[in-house]
Amino acid sequence: MLLVPDWPGDRVDRTGEPLIRADGVWKIFGRREDRIIGTPAAELSRAELRAQTGCVIAVRDVSIRVWPGEVFVVMGLSGSGKSTLARTLIRLIEPTAGRILIAGMEVTAASPAELRQLRRHMVSMVFQHFGLLAHRTVIENMAFGLEVQGVQRNERLARAREMLRLVGLEESESSFPDQLSGGMQQRVGVARAFAVDPKVMLYDEPFSALDPLIRRDMQDEICRLQVETEKTMIFITHDLPEALRLGDRIAIMRDGQIVQLGTPEELVGSPADEYVANFTRDIPKSHVLTLRWVMREPVPEDSTDGPKLDVTTTVRRALPALAAGEKPVCAVEDGRVVGIVDRATVLQAIADERGD
Amino acid sequence: MASVAETVTPAPIVVHRHWWRGRLVQVTGIVALMYVAYRAWAIEYPWPNDLVWNSLSLHLDDFQVWLLTERGKEDQSIVFTVFEGFSSAIDHLVEWFNRLLLWLTWVGTTVAGVALIFRFGGLRAATIMLFAFAAFALTGLWEESMQTLALMLVSVGLSLLVGIPLGVAAGRSAGFRRAIAPVLDAMQIVPAFAYLMPVAILFSIGPAAAVVSTMIYAIPPAIRITALGVRGVPVSTVEAATSMGATRMQLIGKVQLPLARRMILLGVNQTILFALSMVVIAGLIGGGGLGAVVTSGLYSNPALAILAGLAIVIIAMALDRSTEAIAEQTDPAHRHLDETRKRRLRLQTLAIVGTIVAGVGISKAFGAAGAYPDEAGNPPHTATIEEWLLTKIQVVLDYVQDPTTWVFAITERVGIFILQQLLLPLQEFLMEAPWFTTVAGLTAIAFVVSGLRPALTTLAMLGSIGFTGIWALAMDTLSQVLVATAIAVAIGVVLGVLAAESNRFSKVMRPVNDLLQTLPQLVYIIPFIYLMPVSIVPGSVAGVLYAFPVTLRLVERGVRDVAPTSVEAASAFGASRRQVLTKVKLPLAGDAVMLGVNQAIIMVLALVVIGGLVGSGGLGYEVAQGLVRGQFGQGVIASVAILALGIALDRVTQGTRRSRKEGIA
Repeated sequence: MLLVPDWPGDRVDRTGEPLIRADGVWKIFGRREDRIIGTPAAELSRAELRAQTGCVIAVRDVSIRVWPGEVFVVMGLSGSGKSTLARTLIRLIEPTAGRILIAGMEVTAASPAELRQLRRHMVSMVFQHFGLLAHRTVIENMAFGLEVQGVQRNERLARAREMLRLVGLEESESSFPDQLSGGMQQRVGVARAFAVDPKVMLYDEPFSALDPLIRRDMQDEICRLQVETEKTMIFITHDLPEALRLGDRIAIMRDGQIVQLGTPEELVGSPADEYVANFTRDIPKSHVLTLRWVMREPVPEDSTDGPKLDVTTTVRRALPALAAGEKPVCAVEDGRVVGIVDRATVLQAIADERGD
Repeated sequence: MASVAETVTPAPIVVHRHWWRGRLVQVTGIVALMYVAYRAWAIEYPWPNDLVWNSLSLHLDDFQVWLLTERGKEDQSIVFTVFEGFSSAIDHLVEWFNRLLLWLTWVGTTVAGVALIFRFGGLRAATIMLFAFAAFALTGLWEESMQTLALMLVSVGLSLLVGIPLGVAAGRSAGFRRAIAPVLDAMQIVPAFAYLMPVAILFSIGPAAAVVSTMIYAIPPAIRITALGVRGVPVSTVEAATSMGATRMQLIGKVQLPLARRMILLGVNQTILFALSMVVIAGLIGGGGLGAVVTSGLYSNPALAILAGLAIVIIAMALDRSTEAIAEQTDPAHRHLDETRKRRLRLQTLAIVGTIVAGVGISKAFGAAGAYPDEAGNPPHTATIEEWLLTKIQVVLDYVQDPTTWVFAITERVGIFILQQLLLPLQEFLMEAPWFTTVAGLTAIAFVVSGLRPALTTLAMLGSIGFTGIWALAMDTLSQVLVATAIAVAIGVVLGVLAAESNRFSKVMRPVNDLLQTLPQLVYIIPFIYLMPVSIVPGSVAGVLYAFPVTLRLVERGVRDVAPTSVEAASAFGASRRQVLTKVKLPLAGDAVMLGVNQAIIMVLALVVIGGLVGSGGLGYEVAQGLVRGQFGQGVIASVAILALGIALDRVTQGTRRSRKEGIA
């Protein structure tokens, strides 16, 4: 099983302005919840706060930046606040505190009309339970976003038909949602979101309700659409393999806070704490870690005529080159040899996977 | 995020209790103390005169006189102009519909009604509708049926006009829902009979008063079920539409209403049935139509009253089945209409419209009468059928009242037993016991069963009953309510358990239940006036019949809903069927039984006060006198007392279920 995407290394240019910026976002459910932030109560654990005030902290002081074209995954167990965080970004749930900017627009200060414009044109969301309109056909569902915008019927149906082709549901144009399988329903959900051509796609555990085989297909589909359309994606999941597979960067949430934010290999290679380490324990490291994580500094005595691979190659992909000859592999960055990987190091990395 | 809230629901706490802490034991103890007080001080302490507002009745009469003179004035104040305008607008609307139905001619109305039901509800519903129209014609009650239909169209239409928007608002906003819940509760607890009087005073007797009192009764289900439907729209669908930037109106119009449509139509169905059950008592305040035939025929022409009652039942069943079929068949989420079927339906609609126009045109061209002609000889056979029906009904009536037949021998004995062994002793006990022990006892029972706040409400309600000076009459009514409720609950629990345990029995009971629940309240009483003509018995026995199906249903559902794992576990320990029932199912279904008692007592109260029309005495008799003799002051006081008694009985029996539910929500 291949865990990481086919695109090499870090594709995202993070030098410019981020497309999405969330600073110090809080969400507390309960009465007079806005009085808690800034007081000592805000430092309490969830259980203590609930016992004292009856309020529940869903998101605690979260800040994220997402750059254009990036796939940003938020991962956590149920109740970690990840879905709430995603909803606060377009204010489906009002954040209790914090500032959110999307494409330069201050979402947290937007008027209802501005917020509608943002939701209509900038951000589209895909939901775990699909959220399809049971009383409308597939094509009408896909055209719904455009209908809400006020696009003429013929125009929106034409656009919806394109989407139908994009997700391969031409046959089901006039079916109703309850006549489709779960996987097909979620394709409708994805196509509906794409139909309005948003800049940002917000996926809230889109595949959790699907069985594992379909889930793999859908992940491939997302990878393909990502390559074809270059959207910025925020992807919520509780499934670590899914996160590793899709994410350029992954934020792991626990009790409403981000406990670690990094690339897949950073998470697997150096988990920030016991909690993250527990998550990543069962992940085959050779699938995620690149040569950069296992290589040693080159010394003059090393022969550099062995096979040359980019430092971003995963250990697993380097195996054939190592097995083919006696010589250690040279890890190359910008045409320069930056490290040496020999059999012993690789074997050690694979041995670690067993948790020994 | 729902999961956050769900994860923290505390587990139910089970506390071991001493035997004397059990509710049943405490209630028995309180009743025993009340009885001791009764034995010691019977008749010595009636409600004291110092605690009565004696002039209240006079003030109310003055108010009514003032109201009448204000209304009669040339230069009315704006309030009265608006009021009168509203009132006469409704009168005209009812009149207009009535004339329309007659203008269509009896053939045209039948064609139009049946064709419309066929288009939206299918063949079965249309057949039932056709049967209903035939019944109106053959019973010779066509004109009265059309009057009732017109009254229904206006009452139901206005109820929906008010109820559906409020229901949508209540479905969307939890705050609004909480705000109107007590109002809806009150509207449903108060027996309709109690607000006839105030409504008649405000709107003066006529169709408007009938429409308004019907609306008070029929609006709550419209609001409740619409709200339920809107809340039932999947959260993710609403969220999805919101996330796409839908405005509030788009969300309501394109998502929430279409998806709640089936439920809303079922709400329409319930609204119609509630409205129909008011037809008869609306006849008391100018509703006309079949209702008036029933109320005026009660003594003068019982066979005709029964025939009109049957016609109402037939309308109720036809409209019930039709609207149910329409709700099921037009649900877009399950119908899967594609373009070709849509086109076919459009053609069908055209054909239906054509049929109706043609039907009306032809029947007018051939000079069909507005109402079905039922004068003797034209056409000859129908008058005969009507005669025949009336004769047959009369024969049955004569037979059951004949002291020499076995029917009367049984029913009279049952009636006398209920009267002498149950009704009279309890009536004596409640009416003669010292007033303070009764107030204290009932308040204490409310506290034990339901908690502090219900107890305080009960105390306030009982206090206000005494204060208005009709304590003894209220105790009379209360005794009838308690006896009838006890019998209804006993029957309901036994049959409910049987229905839960036996699918076959459940199947047999269902149509009986349906029928008993669609009958207008007064129709229950009519047979017992003849079967058990023993003073106050008919009202109470009718109350039993009216209320036990609800208890049966609740108990059946409660027992059936007991988790199968609990039953399995008990069976695994080798429990017999009876042990499973008494040790597992019934205790776990306790809440349902309590709810059954609560619902039954409210329904029985409604019937017992209507029984005032036919000799049940008590508060209902006062209201009836007010209506018939124009003693408005006394009637209004009795109405308020009925309201107070209704709220008190609801609070005493509501149990802790409401507070428990709120704790979880």
